[in-house]
Amino acid sequence: MKTDNKLKGRDLINVGIYGAIYFVILFAVAMLGMIPIFLPLLSVLVPILGGIPFMLFLTKVKKPGMIFIMAMIMGILMLLTGMGPWPLLTCAIAGLLAEICFKSGEYRSAKKAVLSYGLFSMWIFGNYLPLFTDYEGYFAQRADYGQAYIDAVQKLMPLWMAPVLLIACFVCGLLGGLLGRALLKKHFEKAGLA
Amino acid sequence: MVELNNVSFRYGVEESGNLHEASLVHVDLTVQDGEFVLLTGPSGCGKTTILRLINGLIPHFYPGVTEGSVTVNGRSVQERELYETVLQVGTVFQNPRSQFYNVDTTGELAFGCENRGLPEKEIYARIDDTVRRFGIEKLMDRNIFRLSDGEKQKIACASVDVAGSEIILLDEPSANLDYSATLDLREMIRLWRARGKTIIAAEHRIAYLWDLIDRAVILRDGIIVKELCGAEKNALTDEELSAMGLRSVTPEAPDEIELPALKESDRTMVLRDFVFSYPGAKQPVLNLQELRLAVGEITAITGANGAGKTSFLNCLCGLEKRCRGTLEYEGKRYDRKARQKLCFMVIQDTGNQLFTESVLDEVLISLPKEIAGGKERAAELLKQLDLGNFLDRHPQSLSGGQKQRLAIACALASGRKLLLLDEPTSGLDYAHMMETAELLNRLRDMGTTILVVTHDSELIRACCGRKLSFDAR
Amino acid sequence: MAYSSERSQEARRGFLDPRTKLALVLVLAVFVMGGLGGEALRPVKTILSALPFALLLAERQWKRFARGILMLGIGYGLLTVMPFLPRALNYLALLCGGILTRFVVTVVMGEYLIATTSVSEFISAMERLRMPRAITVPMSVMFRLFPTISAEWKSIRRAMRMRGIHLGGAKASQVLEYQLVPMMTSTVRIGEELSASALTRGLGGPTRRTNICRIGFRAQDAVLLAGCVFVVGVWILELCGVRLW
Repeated sequence: MKTDNKLKGRDLINVGIYGAIYFVILFAVAMLGMIPIFLPLLSVLVPILGGIPFMLFLTKVKKPGMIFIMAMIMGILMLLTGMGPWPLLTCAIAGLLAEICFKSGEYRSAKKAVLSYGLFSMWIFGNYLPLFTDYEGYFAQRADYGQAYIDAVQKLMPLWMAPVLLIACFVCGLLGGLLGRALLKKHFEKAGLA
Repeated sequence: MVELNNVSFRYGVEESGNLHEASLVHVDLTVQDGEFVLLTGPSGCGKTTILRLINGLIPHFYPGVTEGSVTVNGRSVQERELYETVLQVGTVFQNPRSQFYNVDTTGELAFGCENRGLPEKEIYARIDDTVRRFGIEKLMDRNIFRLSDGEKQKIACASVDVAGSEIILLDEPSANLDYSATLDLREMIRLWRARGKTIIAAEHRIAYLWDLIDRAVILRDGIIVKELCGAEKNALTDEELSAMGLRSVTPEAPDEIELPALKESDRTMVLRDFVFSYPGAKQPVLNLQELRLAVGEITAITGANGAGKTSFLNCLCGLEKRCRGTLEYEGKRYDRKARQKLCFMVIQDTGNQLFTESVLDEVLISLPKEIAGGKERAAELLKQLDLGNFLDRHPQSLSGGQKQRLAIACALASGRKLLLLDEPTSGLDYAHMMETAELLNRLRDMGTTILVVTHDSELIRACCGRKLSFDAR
Repeated sequence: MAYSSERSQEARRGFLDPRTKLALVLVLAVFVMGGLGGEALRPVKTILSALPFALLLAERQWKRFARGILMLGIGYGLLTVMPFLPRALNYLALLCGGILTRFVVTVVMGEYLIATTSVSEFISAMERLRMPRAITVPMSVMFRLFPTISAEWKSIRRAMRMRGIHLGGAKASQVLEYQLVPMMTSTVRIGEELSASALTRGLGGPTRRTNICRIGFRAQDAVLLAGCVFVVGVWILELCGVRLW
């Protein structure tokens, strides 16, 4: 049997299986984030908890494309649930970076796997983009609330928050990757899943 | 025509040096067009492996090393792509819950044809034809998740029928079905037989098929030990069958077994005011004002699927918030929360109740914390249940039967007096079923009260002393 | 009358083609949430914002409609009372109100899409849009597994309860571990069996899939799609300096 790099039905189904688990975790955390104060938590909890299914997923990734597809599907799901098209952009970039990283370890390196997941997790930042783009335009719409309003907002949602959130995604992704690998060793390898 | 020529097979990946023991050894099997062949034997005999060789899952899904040749209608399965082989070979699997791909029933019937790119008009025609022949109008356009297991298997069979393959494989299709659903399945198979389909079925529960088959092929440890047809097959007695590790060929409905729910001499426990309904349902599933059950005995709980047997166990165990009602046991009254500490339930998906990373730890978390020498006690318990060699294994890596014994070990460790089991022997072969029966007998002798929800007549005969029947209201 | 699958598929057709709903989600996200076009398109955007609510009503999704209105009300309410609140609460109300009003319209549109589109319709639409198999297959598996994951979760929670493991009775991290590990193990196992079953029914073959689900554009789709085109048109004109009002 020749092993080629074409994605077969089985690979696509694997993307679906682990994607489903990852999305359920994402959704559960997002429900918490319904209370707008907790929105930043999205960039912390999702990468950490999402590492558990993702690291197991990476043990099944031996060809290019699976990580990228996983990322794009997350983007599409974000669009469908009303988070806008920006996640699609960040998903494409994060997915590509994660692919390149994991491939560079020949799909076997544990370190590259964790790094890869860190890069992947940065897609979450796409959900925050609308808050930072069209900054003036959006708040100009609310000019009738007065200048004080605009000052207050610029204090609360300052532009420097953006890179902070992005870095949080990455760092928490690394943490999540480590957590995922720990559970891999403790449970999934012994259970025969990995 | 299906031909296996001198086939030997081992699962595993050669390059990683990870080859398992041989699953099949020098097997020769030929199935003519229109023949109905039964493959049977104890667990691990290789019957499922043969099916996988025929439908192409070996080698395209399950890696391994194959020697010999497997051909379907003259073409080698190994050398063809999976999607080509399955044009001629349809498969019905064992687990109703994990073989459907779509969420709605009609879509599931169309699935095979859609994958092939058949035009929609033709698919509609085929679906209508299958629905008419199998009489499943009532199951159309419904959410598959809401169907019973028996109905799900009907959809699975219908899906294979719509695809129209000439060769049909069945891998223990009745394992999770109750008696009447098994009869429905048998009827569908009979209809296929009448149309001249080539059918190969792997089964433990051979009773419902025995008179339909042309030939029985009995395997053990990967080798064909006997092939029977015609008069020779019909002459087999139950003793000869058990000697070969096979189940009885006399179909018997659990309802036909005569057992009292209670005897005069029994100590009893009383359930009062057990009422339970699903949210939004008009009729309560359970409505028991007073129910007496025997203490210190093994009571079988039978009834058709959907009659509320599992709900009953959940309520008894105190796991259903919406069910009030009390249990009087050994002079004390137990409300819902108290019952949680009194009962231990072994559920059908045993994997869902094992949480730790080793067999030993699993038992340890069920031991009361105050007891000293916990590890020794746990190890001792596990030895008694034949799991002494598995102390370090991960619970999720055990076989179905082993997981169950582990769950029972946890029950013993917890010291709870009331043991509830939900379908413990579905899918088990004769030997393992008898082992379970023997284990339950031992537990009863130790003073545990046991309630078993089961549709397995042979289990009931082997160990149950009382019977409670639930009929769907 | 004998069962006709064609007839019943036609009867189950949704009010709008899924592709129309997708276009609406996109337009709303880009213009209303994204603020593209700025102040000039205000009247258009206000009408657009009302659309998801109107659609929910049209398809009798009362609960979701009520929830959406509630969220909208809370959002704008917070922004209104904000100037009257003391310092700390002021910022809080601002943040919450701002985020809510920003997202609520598109989230409600998303809810409408999910509530009124069946999985088969959605997959059918994606296939018509020529989305690659690499996207449609994983997505259909995911939709298929969501209810399963939910059911397994409940079953595991029950078993944990039975064995006395729950918050209060054990460490939080342990409870999480005991919940997640069996859930993943059983989901993966079910997924594997699903995979085998699907493969034996031809998934992954080279021919392009057909789909018995009935979708297609009708009058209502034409109207809404024309509306989308109109919005984009106005924006382009505005970019070129032409103002319609």
